[in-house]
Amino acid sequence: MLDWEVIPIPLFGRKNKEKKEEKKEGVSEALKGVLYGFAVHGAATAALKTRMHMEHLFMLMTLGDMLGFPIIPPYYSLKILPYVVPNIKSWKERLFRERDFTDLLSG
Amino acid sequence: MVGLAEFFERKPNIEVVVFAGKGGLGKTTSSAALSYHMAVNEGKKVLCFSTDPQASLSDIFERDLFGKGVVEVAPNLYVVEIDADKKIAEYQQEIKHKIMDMYGLEELPKEIEEYIDSTSAEPAMYESATYDAMADLVASGEYDLYVFDMPPFGHGVRMVAMAEILSAWVDKITEARKEAAEYEAVAATLKGGMQTEDMVLKELEEIRKKMTTFTELMTNSEKTAFFMVMVPEKMAILDTERALEMFRELNIEMSGVIVNQIYPRDLLNKPDLPELLRKKIEMQEKHLLEIREKFEDLIAAIIPMYDREPKGLEMIAKVAEDLMNSRRDLLWW
Ligand SMILES: Nc1ncnc2c1ncn2[C@@H]1O[C@H](COP(=O)(O)OP(=O)(O)OP(=O)(O)O)[C@@H](O)[C@H]1O
Ligand SMILES: [Mg+2]
Repeated sequence: MLDWEVIPIPLFGRKNKEKKEEKKEGVSEALKGVLYGFAVHGAATAALKTRMHMEHLFMLMTLGDMLGFPIIPPYYSLKILPYVVPNIKSWKERLFRERDFTDLLSG
Repeated sequence: MVGLAEFFERKPNIEVVVFAGKGGLGKTTSSAALSYHMAVNEGKKVLCFSTDPQASLSDIFERDLFGKGVVEVAPNLYVVEIDADKKIAEYQQEIKHKIMDMYGLEELPKEIEEYIDSTSAEPAMYESATYDAMADLVASGEYDLYVFDMPPFGHGVRMVAMAEILSAWVDKITEARKEAAEYEAVAATLKGGMQTEDMVLKELEEIRKKMTTFTELMTNSEKTAFFMVMVPEKMAILDTERALEMFRELNIEMSGVIVNQIYPRDLLNKPDLPELLRKKIEMQEKHLLEIREKFEDLIAAIIPMYDREPKGLEMIAKVAEDLMNSRRDLLWW
């Protein structure tokens, strides 16, 4: 399985340390902080999605023909296979749980 | 004038010739004849290539060439008949060893092993292995002319579509990766980390480059010629029409049609002509009329039916004459 916690969200952490000063700066500044947090959090979510999306791309390119849509001619997908071997198991497990993984393809 | 001599005068920069068409109509015969003509009569360095497991080039050149690498069968005429089964088996072994080396495994996980083994059963595996071999040979640039004797209906057209799909995916991955980098979350998605991804991308780029270089050559009608081989029979006419349609859809130019195995009509003047043969010639007439009507401008060469199977250099030389400068009256009597 992928370890989701590993994804660094550096700005979020820094903001927390500046908490004391923030308080003095009033409501508007606090709101700004919340919005900022949102934005950063949004970015992180997008990054999470992208990251997952990329793994799908890599795996689909290599093993697409297993699922019935070949992307690379099989002679060449064997060339990629060695690199994705450690990911195959978790990818397959996740794929079967995915509600609609065609979303990921089009996204 | 009918015959390929006229075609090559018009297109002097042709580097690749592909003979396509249904089984048993004369692709191998035409390939051997053209290769012979270009090498022996025109002094070009020619490579004639096939992956036919029936070893039909060995058959027609009367030499054991199958799986033997490149063999010079006449001055300037080189022939290679690839043993695709063997090539694929060796390649699968290579991949298995690579995986074991990469991860320090004593043996492969069963699932992976089964997956690799299962790929040899796919027709697409044969096809892509064949194109890979073709692409390597063409990229070597060692020959003036490459003649590809294709398996029935494997005319390289699917490869063109595949190259486009692959290109789109490589673009998509590269773009997705940039996007991830912008979010500073440059976390690697594959277990080996960024390095593994870089290696996969590098491999993908190489594959894309190989495929696009090859398909660009194959779709350049000044450098590559596709000829459909047919015979005067109903099925062959239908199949040729279908193939023409497919080429048109993919925007690839079909260089011409070769009509093979036509019984010369002057046989009809022979008093001792066997009744069966007479019937056959009469049957052929309506198909010839249809071919005239349907493929008129595309007819590039006409080859008669010989009294025996063309085998050996002497007979190949005879076919080459007919292929390059055809007897017009066989079709327009
Ligand atoms: N013009 C001809 N006259 C007499 N025999 C011919 C002629 N053309 C081809 N043949 C014979 O017909 C058979 C099929 O021809 P050829 O092997 O060239 O076809 P092919 O299209 O390469 O077949 P395959 O799809 O099986 O590879 C061969 O035995 C060949 O010798
Ligand atoms: Mg053949």
